Amino acid sequence: MKALTKNIFREIKNTKSRFFSILAIIALSTGFFSGVKASSPSMIETGRSYITDKNLMDIRLVSTVGFDDDDIKAIKEMEDTVDVMPGYSADLIRTENNIDSVIKVLSLPEKTDTNNKLINETILIDGRFPENDGECVIEDYFARTKGFGIGKEIIFNEKIQGNNTTDIIKQLNYKIVGIVNTPLFFTYQRGSTTVGDGTISFFIMLPSDQFVTERYTNVYVTTKASDPDIDPLTDEYKDIIKSQKDDYKLLADERIKVFNETTLADAKKELADAEKEFKEKKQEAEEKLADGEKKLHDGEQEMADKLSEGYKKIADAEKELNDGKEQLADGQKKYADGIEEAKNKLADAQTQYNDGLTKYTKGKLEYDTEISKAQAQLDKAQSEFDIQYSLFFGTTKPDAENKLNLMKTAIDICNEAIDKAEKRINELETAIEKYTEPPEEIDELHALIDEYREKINEYQKQYNSGIQQLSDGEQKLNEAKAQLDEAHNTFEQKKAEGLAKLTDAQIQLDTAKSQLDIGKLEYETALTTGMLEMQAAQTKISEGEKELEKGKAELENQKAEGLKQLKEAREKLATGKAEAKEKLGDAENKLNDAKDKIESLNDADWYIFERDDNPGYSGLVEDAQRVDNVAAVFPVFFLLIAALVCLTTMSRMVEERRTEIGTLKALGYSNFKIVSKYLVYSAVASVIGSAVGAVAGIFTLPFIILDTYSMMYCLPASKLVIDTSSLALSAGTGILCTCTVSVITCLGELRQKPASLMRPKAPKPGKRILLEYITPLWNNMNFTSKVTFRNIFRYKARFLMTVIGVAGCTALIIGGLGLKDSLSVIAPLQYEEITIFDQIYALKNEGTSQQQAYLMSQFHADKRFSETALVSQNWTTVSYNNDNNKINLRYIIAEKHDESEKFFILRDRITHEKVALDDSGIIINERLSQVTGITKGEMLNMTINDVPYSFKVSGITENYAGNYIYMTPSFYEENTGKKLKYNLVYTQLTEEGKKDERDIANDWMKKDEILTVSLIHEQLEGILSTLDSLDVIVLVLVICAAMLAVVVLYNLTNINISERVREIATIKVLGFYNMETANYIYRENIILTLTGALIGLPLGNVFVSFVVEAIQMDMVMFPKYVTPISFFYGFALTILFSLFVNFIMFFRMKKISMVESLKSIE
Amino acid sequence: MQKDFVVFENVYKRYKMGEITINAANGVNFSINEGEFAVVVGLSGAGKTTVLNILGGIDSCDEGRIVVGGKDISHLGSKDLASYRRYDIGFVFQFYNLIPNLTAKENVELATQICKDHMDASDALNSVGLHDRKNNFPSQLSGGEQQRVSIARALAKKPKLLLCDEPTGALDYNTGKNILKLLQTKCKEDGMTVVLITHNSAITPMADRVINMRSGKVISNIVNENPLPIEKIEW
Repeated sequence: MKALTKNIFREIKNTKSRFFSILAIIALSTGFFSGVKASSPSMIETGRSYITDKNLMDIRLVSTVGFDDDDIKAIKEMEDTVDVMPGYSADLIRTENNIDSVIKVLSLPEKTDTNNKLINETILIDGRFPENDGECVIEDYFARTKGFGIGKEIIFNEKIQGNNTTDIIKQLNYKIVGIVNTPLFFTYQRGSTTVGDGTISFFIMLPSDQFVTERYTNVYVTTKASDPDIDPLTDEYKDIIKSQKDDYKLLADERIKVFNETTLADAKKELADAEKEFKEKKQEAEEKLADGEKKLHDGEQEMADKLSEGYKKIADAEKELNDGKEQLADGQKKYADGIEEAKNKLADAQTQYNDGLTKYTKGKLEYDTEISKAQAQLDKAQSEFDIQYSLFFGTTKPDAENKLNLMKTAIDICNEAIDKAEKRINELETAIEKYTEPPEEIDELHALIDEYREKINEYQKQYNSGIQQLSDGEQKLNEAKAQLDEAHNTFEQKKAEGLAKLTDAQIQLDTAKSQLDIGKLEYETALTTGMLEMQAAQTKISEGEKELEKGKAELENQKAEGLKQLKEAREKLATGKAEAKEKLGDAENKLNDAKDKIESLNDADWYIFERDDNPGYSGLVEDAQRVDNVAAVFPVFFLLIAALVCLTTMSRMVEERRTEIGTLKALGYSNFKIVSKYLVYSAVASVIGSAVGAVAGIFTLPFIILDTYSMMYCLPASKLVIDTSSLALSAGTGILCTCTVSVITCLGELRQKPASLMRPKAPKPGKRILLEYITPLWNNMNFTSKVTFRNIFRYKARFLMTVIGVAGCTALIIGGLGLKDSLSVIAPLQYEEITIFDQIYALKNEGTSQQQAYLMSQFHADKRFSETALVSQNWTTVSYNNDNNKINLRYIIAEKHDESEKFFILRDRITHEKVALDDSGIIINERLSQVTGITKGEMLNMTINDVPYSFKVSGITENYAGNYIYMTPSFYEENTGKKLKYNLVYTQLTEEGKKDERDIANDWMKKDEILTVSLIHEQLEGILSTLDSLDVIVLVLVICAAMLAVVVLYNLTNINISERVREIATIKVLGFYNMETANYIYRENIILTLTGALIGLPLGNVFVSFVVEAIQMDMVMFPKYVTPISFFYGFALTILFSLFVNFIMFFRMKKISMVESLKSIE
Repeated sequence: MQKDFVVFENVYKRYKMGEITINAANGVNFSINEGEFAVVVGLSGAGKTTVLNILGGIDSCDEGRIVVGGKDISHLGSKDLASYRRYDIGFVFQFYNLIPNLTAKENVELATQICKDHMDASDALNSVGLHDRKNNFPSQLSGGEQQRVSIARALAKKPKLLLCDEPTGALDYNTGKNILKLLQTKCKEDGMTVVLITHNSAITPMADRVINMRSGKVISNIVNENPLPIEKIEW
């Protein structure tokens, strides 16, 4: 190996960090550029190969009347036709959990005798294709996103828009047995439908034999345009298809003519026959009905007569009965009076009798009492007398006589005693003379004689009174006997008297009693008789009443029967009528159906669709274009920064190797040899970098981006396409920049003499900077600040490089975030600020103005709407650029254009000033103005219904999604001379209504007048979900920008440090601590980074405009919008990366040996 | 006058270059008194720069003891070494090592701003005879003038020890002489201890002490009782 070659490799080895930073920058930018650039072709290629491999139809024919085999044959015979495959399609409704959803049912592609290859071949993702009845396959996207897959069953509603579902397909239930993708649907978009709420939720596919429809609904055709040499995604293909479509249109006209002459003519004849028959039948039925009605009428009359007669009879009977009742009442009264009188009399008699009885009883009682009293007295007197008598004679008299005897005895005794005593006295007085002494005994005997004398007196007295008493008693007794006898006589007399009186009274009483009894008997007899008489009368009356009731009931029965008969007759008539009507109605319906059918057959038309009409088909190319546009801006900017940094690095390197270059030159090496070292160095770095970057970029980014998009697409696995030209471009730019810079710098050095080269390059002289002249400021500055500022301004190139590099990174980050901001602001801006209505109802037929007024009144009446308006919205073609370019868009004419701000806002994008819509001209949206280049006041050429017009543009309005032209009804009618027909209703929902948006749509879809409903809200969600996918791309952008920022900052700081190793070593020797040393260097870095990041903010803003401008589409205006937070992130991330790099560099700085300071200057 | 102001005792410094170990200092022993003008001489590779680096706190020794002004610096950590350099050492480089972006005065200030006890930058420049060139950038100064700025920068810190690494190496004869004179004056008049490294043994007579080195060892340490003024020396 030659010394010089060794030198190169040793150089690389010794300057690893420089080498690798160049390598990394080149790798990053190349990788990013080639990766993003490869994404778009990969997307397109994936789609393209899908189209070709699966033999996607070129033309799809749809007929309002279907196709028969002759039609198919005719299509097959077309010159352009390669293959023809007929098929079926139907939009059916399934109701689950009270929610209606529309399901597109397609026939699976099948091989027929008209095609050699399957057209629109389906890809089986999972499971199997249907083999039996009742099996189907479901689309992958729905199955994937909703988890509605194999084994689930779909049950269709029995009716679909008044038709039986089973008139379309064999069964109502289908079991999912497989998951498929079809090239007919590229994206999640399923198109719109005229049933249900107008949106198709998913599709299933069935074998054709499951369809029972007579005629084919679709015909898929591959034409010569699908030649492998023709790229289906180019304008060339489109042009071919356009011309072919015209041919098919001609065929369509021809086939329609044939149809009209055969099928339609037959149908018309049938209709005429049917009409005739119907008329006859109608007449017959009407006659029968009239007859029936007459009979019924007669019956009614008869019944009325009979009834009135019956009622009269009843009335008479009732009168009689009432008379009887009256009489009875009189009799009853009289009877009652008589009874009362008799009762009174009887009562009087009774009273008298009772009085008599009482008196008699009393008299008798008195008499009895007196008698008994008298008897008692008498008895008492008798008994007393008896007692006295017996007492007197029995006791008193003997007693008294005994006593009297006793008394006599006693008197005798006493007289004896006295004699005795007197004898003694004499003795004694004799004795006295004997005895002079005992005189006392004489005295005592004297006393005793006195006492006895006294007692004899007493007894004498008592004896006398007893004799007296006895004679008194005997007298009294005799007197009482006399009295008693007298009383006894009186009593006997009185008794006899009383008895006589009593007997008289008894006789009287008995007489009264018998009289009373007679009265009583008489009364009772009278009572019984009256009662009997009355009962008889009552019985009569009740009998009469019963009879009356019976009569009444009979009448009622008769009436009911009559009515029943009448009713039956009426019912019969009604049934007959209804039957007749039904029959007639049926017949009429059939007739009308036939008429309708013929009418629809009359309007028989073929629609010719191309691939672009498949929902989502064109989206792929647009999305790819958008990615490509992003790729066009971002990586270029990226590459620019990379080139700039490489330039700095290489020029620095050449400067460092100045002495070496001088030495080599002095040694006699040719300039080429010397330059080649640096060339090889930079070439090796950039080639390896490009290679690594390209490989890494191409094999990662397209997959990341495609994966993101594949969420929305129903495409097979991504195909990687390496875009060699962009790869070459990016690699080439990197390599070229680096190499050219090193060659130029090297050659610049080489222009000098070797001698001067060998001398150290005079260090760039220190200079006073502008700031120093502002003495007060400068003098007050910290010493290190002075050094910092002087250094910053001393190395202007480095200053510029760093600032530009850092600013670029900040701008890139802001660019990524700003792109996301701009995209995500479209939907809210469009649907919250500009098109503020919630729903669009498409009217089935435009109808008369009265019909529309009626419909509108119904809309007004629905309280769930806060605003409703009739709108005319139709397609028009605007041509511009001298008719070279055409653009299809819709013009909108609101009935109440002066209130249009309730539905859409016409305003200037920047000032938000209202743009007035009046009869002076039309208003176009901003994007349309940009695309066509026509501004306010200029004339816009547009074609409405094949008639060209030129209208003055009176204003330009803000709008993002889609292009629109607005005009007033009067402007339209004046300028086109045509009557304006409204075909849509815009509605705005109340807050309440917004919750049931879908229900409201479903309600209204049931009305015949409504064709479809579009929910703005759902459109919004669709758009938002599309934009979500951009997150990944934005993330890729931001990460790449961040990586670039790190590498750039690292490189620049690295250069800064390596340039100043000697300086750093010197200040270390002077005793600076590590942190002080670091600050000495970092202060510059921080200021440069801050400056760069600050400059990066407006730069980022500009960059976002740039990117947004690049991704603009004809149909969509992307607003440029960067949120403050994105600016903040851009700034903060850059600072963060810078701090990170400084942190790493701190260790490198620490490692710098002070011995460096002692080395001589190289 | 402190005796043995600077002492080296058995100082070893080894560098590993691949598999070979070079003993740059192979048991160095010497001492220098305060206020002396010491010259270390020797051929290239004799180890004198290693000695200077170790003495200046730029490098550390592997073995041995170094005492400067009574302070053992042989085992100081990097931060203490930085402080040592900051407060105790003044360094005069062969290639001046001025910061090109700073004026003469600012270069001196670069040193003084980190020292607590320092001279005024202007005074320092005056003392090296640069009265008029204070606001000039290094590129506007001659080599001798730049070296004077470098000396002023070293002296302004009021170091204990002034270390000079071939201060005349990049200068012409007369300018070199002037620089040496300035250094000798500073030593004699201000009592600054100066250690000067040179391969030019012709200037040894001006030194108070001459340390001769060969192969990482001190082969002689001679005190010169009668140093000659620089004017009398010719080479």
